[in-house]
Amino acid sequence: MSISEGTLGELRSKGVEVRRIDKEYYEIFIGPQHPGSGHMRFRVKLDGDIIVDADPDIGYVHRTMEKLSEGREWLKITPLVERMTIIDACNITLPYINALEKLMDKRPSTRASYLRVLLCEMNRIASHLYGFGIFGVFIGHSTAYMWGFGDREVFVELSEILTGTRLTYTYHIPGGVRRDMPQDFPQMVRRAVRYMRSRMPEYEKIFLNNPVIVTRLKDVGVITKNRAAELGVVGPTLRGSGIRYDVRLAEPYEVYGEIDFEVPVFEDGDALARTWVRVEEIKQSLNIMEQAIDWLERHRDEPVIPKEDYDKLPKLHKEVYEKSGRVKLLPAQISMKVPPGKAVARGEAGRGEIFYYVESDGGTMPYRLRVVTPSARNAIVFKRILPGHRLMDLPTVYGSIDYFAPEADR
Amino acid sequence: MMVLETILYLIAYPPLWHVLIVGLLGAFFTAVVAIWFERKTAARVQRRIGPYWASPRLGGFLNLIADMIRYILQEVIIPRSVDRVPFVLAPVAAFVISIMPMAFVPLSPYEKFWPVPNMDYSLLLALAISTVPPLMSIIGGWASNNKFSIIGSIRESYVITAYELIFVISLLSAAATYTSLNLLTIVNAQSPIAWLLFLNPIAFLAAFLAVLMSTSAFPFEIPESEHEVVGGPYTEYSGILYALNMGGAYVRRFIYAVIMSLVFLGGWAPYVPPADGPLFAIIIPSLIVAIKAVILVLIMSFLRAVYGRYRLDQALDSAWRLVLPMALIGLGWGIVLGLIL
Repeated sequence: MSISEGTLGELRSKGVEVRRIDKEYYEIFIGPQHPGSGHMRFRVKLDGDIIVDADPDIGYVHRTMEKLSEGREWLKITPLVERMTIIDACNITLPYINALEKLMDKRPSTRASYLRVLLCEMNRIASHLYGFGIFGVFIGHSTAYMWGFGDREVFVELSEILTGTRLTYTYHIPGGVRRDMPQDFPQMVRRAVRYMRSRMPEYEKIFLNNPVIVTRLKDVGVITKNRAAELGVVGPTLRGSGIRYDVRLAEPYEVYGEIDFEVPVFEDGDALARTWVRVEEIKQSLNIMEQAIDWLERHRDEPVIPKEDYDKLPKLHKEVYEKSGRVKLLPAQISMKVPPGKAVARGEAGRGEIFYYVESDGGTMPYRLRVVTPSARNAIVFKRILPGHRLMDLPTVYGSIDYFAPEADR
Repeated sequence: MMVLETILYLIAYPPLWHVLIVGLLGAFFTAVVAIWFERKTAARVQRRIGPYWASPRLGGFLNLIADMIRYILQEVIIPRSVDRVPFVLAPVAAFVISIMPMAFVPLSPYEKFWPVPNMDYSLLLALAISTVPPLMSIIGGWASNNKFSIIGSIRESYVITAYELIFVISLLSAAATYTSLNLLTIVNAQSPIAWLLFLNPIAFLAAFLAVLMSTSAFPFEIPESEHEVVGGPYTEYSGILYALNMGGAYVRRFIYAVIMSLVFLGGWAPYVPPADGPLFAIIIPSLIVAIKAVILVLIMSFLRAVYGRYRLDQALDSAWRLVLPMALIGLGWGIVLGLIL
């Protein structure tokens, strides 16, 4: 049955939105209530088994982070923006604190910087293992899923010992961190690093070199070097396409400038290369963790907050700090006023570069906070790269760029 | 003594024994054991415990029974948009027809224990019946009137065209070797230890891969791959109908394994029934065949922990380009064997 143009015009005049459905293609809606979609929806048009058009319908978990921030005190924003990527909370909040420090003209103590780097790298590993596990189960490999989630627990628990919580650390404060590490923490970190190193070859055996998985991932979702630069993708997706770009390298923040590490780059640009980048990054993160913990063990006496901040603390707070290494926050710090100005900061989160723009009008809350998250920048891949692939490649591409919808939707 | 004999004869009454005892009960038992084994071994590989709480001493075995009871008692939701009759009938028919090949396989060398009087075309008949159930899952998927179901059904139909030929050809290699379609002749010729598994391993491997494809085992779990098409043909099913669909795959795997253990693993060999009493002539041979079949099923189940799934086109590609030539080589070697033997 076809509708005449006259009827269409009549409908339109009544305010009904009318569009022609393309009958040539089979259109399916994948998500948001779909086992393989995450918190988002794809509108996929299929010609046979080939994807003609894939439209990522983002925004399903949009929580107005930027607007909410304008109504919160400076320090209360950290627990808010953490919720963007709860599995990568340290990396995702660090640039915000960096921007805040720029506004307040404060430098973190070196020990705090090392602690931040340590937590960031533990968090990066946990986040990569999470993504790796999800990716595994997307292509039907339940063992990768269980291993990834099981081994992630090691780093989640380390974080718990360091910060007191498993995921939402709220660890950074301007000029320092909220807790020093426990006495026996270095041994725990070294044991975790040893354990993870011994596990890496097994991951390679069961997953990355598994013939079925290699057939499945090779030459799928190829983003060439030029294309990657053109689309502006970030993180492992970018480095999997052969571009050597990492914020830790391009614009070292904290103490990354003093730490020795490599940035793994793979040339192929396919799903397999992106997975390899993440696996190699886990190895590099283990190295960084070791260096950080070595430094921290050698410099046990240094403070985790700057001297002038320490002097301002009342007696009780000083006692708590001396006894347990915990920095109790003052009410005055919560309602602190930040000098007017604008600041930006970047950081390398698990999924790529995260960017903050913070503007203060001299009040107790920011005038404007802008976040650009890595997943938001990678979302373009679905639209541009998926067409031409088969339907069964959708989970492959989706999992290989490690897209995290709550992060993109903010 | 008479009473015992009568009871034994009643139990061993061939059609009842074959279809209900070995077929249905065996398949039921295999399904439970295979799912339990699959979950337990996968858990071991994945460094967890697996089913545990329902019966810690039995390694959580009763968990599967509990699951089954849950499926039976669950509400069956039939969506308004489905085509009711085929929607309900398809899984039931698939399950029942899955067991039917048992009516054509010999589990004893003695004629009085055969379910049909003549075994001459038993291999062909068993194979023919075993090809019907997959069609039912296509019908079920089509009747579901759901986009994901239809994609799943279409995938199923692609996969059928790929594996059916391979399975039939690789089993026919046995017919070529012994110049007979009689399963009994094939079994007897392999006794006690000249199994076709050793004589013609290529055909066995091809048949094994074909069974993996046909019952959507990993790495060929394509029609119902959860992360693209939700549940494939079974997306709209719930309760007992879903259980029939899911259990049906295991039942089919078991029936295929029975046929394979007769053709490739020598049936009840190396055991030779010494007398024609029910115990020695039918119960023990059936048990041996069932155990061989269960071992095959367990090997198939274990692959889940190791492999992911192939893409549809890659699976079809490997079926047509790699496994089909393998089956043909198996057939050729079977003919050569037939000339030698």
